[in-house]
Amino acid sequence: MSVDQFLQYLISGITQGSIYALVALGFTIIYAVTRVINFAQGEFVMLGGMLSFLLISSFGIPLIPSLILAVLFTAIIGAIIYLLAIRTAKKASVVSLIIITIGVSIFIRGFTREFLGVDSVRPPFFTGDESLTIFGALIRPQALWIIGTTIVVTIILHLFLSRTMMGNALKASAISTRAAAMVGIDSRVMALTAFVIAAVIGSIGGAVMAPLVLTSYNVGVMLGLKGFVSASIGGFKSPIISVIGGITIGVIESLAVGINWGPFTSSYKDAIAIVALLIILLIRSGRLALEERAD
Amino acid sequence: MSEYILQTKGLSKIFGGLVALDKIDMEIEKGRISAIIGPNGAGKTTLFNLIAGVYSATSGEILFQGMRVNSMPAHRRASIGVARTFQHALLFGNMTVLENVMTGQHPRSQYGFLEAAFRLPKSYREERKISLEAIKYLNLVGLGMDKDKEALSLPLGRQKLLAIARALATEPKLLLLDEPGAGLTTLEKRALSDLIRRIIDMGITVLLVEHDMPLVMGLAEKIIVLDSGQKIAEGDANQIQKDERVIAVYLGEEVEG
Amino acid sequence: MFGFVKNKWIYFLVGALLAVMVLIPFDWFMGKYNTLLIFIGLNTMVTVGLCLLMGYTGQVSLGQAAYYGIGAYISAILSKTYGVNPWLAMLIAAIVTGAFAYGIGYLIFRLKGNYLAMATLGLGLIIWILFRQLSEITGGPDGMGGIPYLSIGGFGFYTTFKRYYLVWFFCLALLLISQNIVRSRTGRALRAIHGSEDAAESIGINVAQFKVKIFALSAVFASIAGSLFVHHLRFVSPQPFGFLASVKLVVMAVIGGLASIWGAIFGAATTNILSDELLLGFGELDTIVYGLILMLVMIFMPQGLFVKLKEIIVQWRSKTTQKV
Repeated sequence: MSVDQFLQYLISGITQGSIYALVALGFTIIYAVTRVINFAQGEFVMLGGMLSFLLISSFGIPLIPSLILAVLFTAIIGAIIYLLAIRTAKKASVVSLIIITIGVSIFIRGFTREFLGVDSVRPPFFTGDESLTIFGALIRPQALWIIGTTIVVTIILHLFLSRTMMGNALKASAISTRAAAMVGIDSRVMALTAFVIAAVIGSIGGAVMAPLVLTSYNVGVMLGLKGFVSASIGGFKSPIISVIGGITIGVIESLAVGINWGPFTSSYKDAIAIVALLIILLIRSGRLALEERAD
Repeated sequence: MSEYILQTKGLSKIFGGLVALDKIDMEIEKGRISAIIGPNGAGKTTLFNLIAGVYSATSGEILFQGMRVNSMPAHRRASIGVARTFQHALLFGNMTVLENVMTGQHPRSQYGFLEAAFRLPKSYREERKISLEAIKYLNLVGLGMDKDKEALSLPLGRQKLLAIARALATEPKLLLLDEPGAGLTTLEKRALSDLIRRIIDMGITVLLVEHDMPLVMGLAEKIIVLDSGQKIAEGDANQIQKDERVIAVYLGEEVEG
Repeated sequence: MFGFVKNKWIYFLVGALLAVMVLIPFDWFMGKYNTLLIFIGLNTMVTVGLCLLMGYTGQVSLGQAAYYGIGAYISAILSKTYGVNPWLAMLIAAIVTGAFAYGIGYLIFRLKGNYLAMATLGLGLIIWILFRQLSEITGGPDGMGGIPYLSIGGFGFYTTFKRYYLVWFFCLALLLISQNIVRSRTGRALRAIHGSEDAAESIGINVAQFKVKIFALSAVFASIAGSLFVHHLRFVSPQPFGFLASVKLVVMAVIGGLASIWGAIFGAATTNILSDELLLGFGELDTIVYGLILMLVMIFMPQGLFVKLKEIIVQWRSKTTQKV
């Protein structure tokens, strides 16, 4: 691999990884507040992409209103998921919650397939497709949009959590629901907020990624899995580590494919991410066991 | 073989820099009732978990019947004769009362997947023995009438008795009881004391962690007092009640609490 | 089987059921449903393994279809490409799949809850990717055909009529074995692990080992079903072994009741009738229904639809007997 090629794979990895980072942020914020791993997190990303395509390409609505509507709609779905599925099952075991959120996931996926079809779709680029050259590597404007969006979303989320009343309430709720309740924070409102934020972040990710890498009704599982890997690096605790984790996974995946030898080819791109998942989980398993005891 | 069924030598446990137990030396005599007491956070439960094998020690030794068991996993310790109960009974909620105790016979029976799958004669033979033994232990703790009830349908006091029966069904040499008196009425506590004495009569050594002072003072022949991870005193009830450091620790707790 | 009928009626009931099962494949009875019934039988075998793992032991697997697939591919490749006797191929498949699952289980069963679920999902996906990519031996996404039928001596299972008996023979055998395991020392150990791992460990149960063993056993069940599957269809492709297939198996287990052996038949039957009869030709409309089922059942009757129905019948019976 030459330096140019390396840079090219690196950029592509950072771009992909930015999307994983956004999925990971969704996992992290829901887990922190509710201790639920939302197996439907990838579907938010799928919805963001599919809906923005529907609005722009089929309904002919301009870009910005389309994006806003797609994100708004997904946010409503996020709220509904919490209100109908998660809140009603609040005493459910971990296994039950896994099955419930898997149910949510295939429900959304089936619906999207029914109404929007099975084809992969590509909404138009936000700002054309004239590649820029950086140190001999090509970078497409949409990739810059993806990376930029991730940076902006991360900063806004950080400011939200650290500077606003609502953010502080969320953090308090994440540390201890009972203690938060004593100072008048309603844990159900916090959980609802977490689901909405996760849906918003996921759908934004889906909408910015779709023009570059295409999207279809069934991308949710793989994106969910990769976002899960990214978030598990930080144990679903820290948003910043989740973002770093996502970008790391994207880069590892991209560079591994770049080796283009043996199992390191694009055919096995997804398998590489899964192997990374297993390795991370197994390395962390000792610590995970301890953390669970501490809980 | 030593006369002590259990010994610890310089036993320490550090959790992420926090010293939970600091060089504990302790001997538990065979066939007697011993108790570990101390204020909250003294390290009682940590010590218990080290003996039972839930955690592994940071340093020091645990000797059971003179054998070093430091790195032995919990289920192996149960099979060589260390049984325990938990603060919250931790019954198997998906089973009946009888099945809970039958499960306790696990280390005293052998048949596995294959014998079970094809109902080989060995499974019949052992199953009969398992249920007879289980009923024996249920009668011992006075739950014979409740054997077909759902385990979690029992009131708390009886749940704790069931947990003891389950532990006894492993046919232990040493029985560790983690706060057996917590949440019990005065009457139930008296019955518990009687039960513990009967367990001793069966030749089983009992070590308990308990908050209830009258219960401990009335039962234990040897009391070990922990504070902030260190052993500050040991002796019989009289000696402990007169020990100045113990009094200081407990007075301190009362003032704070 | 019918824990609520504790009298001689049970023998009559079981006898009648068996008689019906024997008569079903005849043309004058329900012969046209033989293919459907064969698939119900195959799915029941995989589902009951999943019930042992999820319902009794409390461990999630979101990749169970992959082990079904491994059994199917090993049988297909050995019997077609290498001309191995299909029965021997089936045995080898079961052993290899079991050993593979044992090894995998040894690694991943250190994980719990959400992490375990994701790990099993991920492994299932990797295996599925391999089915597609190793096209030189698996035939890739297009699959491979021309797999021989099973036969005993001169008697070949050439018709769906005959294969119905073959599949249900294996299915009932595995159900009986599962029931025996559940009602044994081993079964109690598994349920103890589900109840409380700490308590199970404290009474001498080697929690880690039991989890791995039951996972391997569930994989063996899936593998046997997979072998029968390829010798029935004479064709194999990656399609029935992906993520959705694994979720569908969870749906079957959930409908039947995660902790119910005989519920597995009910779950497999409901799901197969839904997918292959009622919603056939409606694309993936069935996934919408499955999504709803998973949510509704787990929220409102986590013990499962089958078990719930059973409870209702018991209540109804005790009411009527009180009146008398």
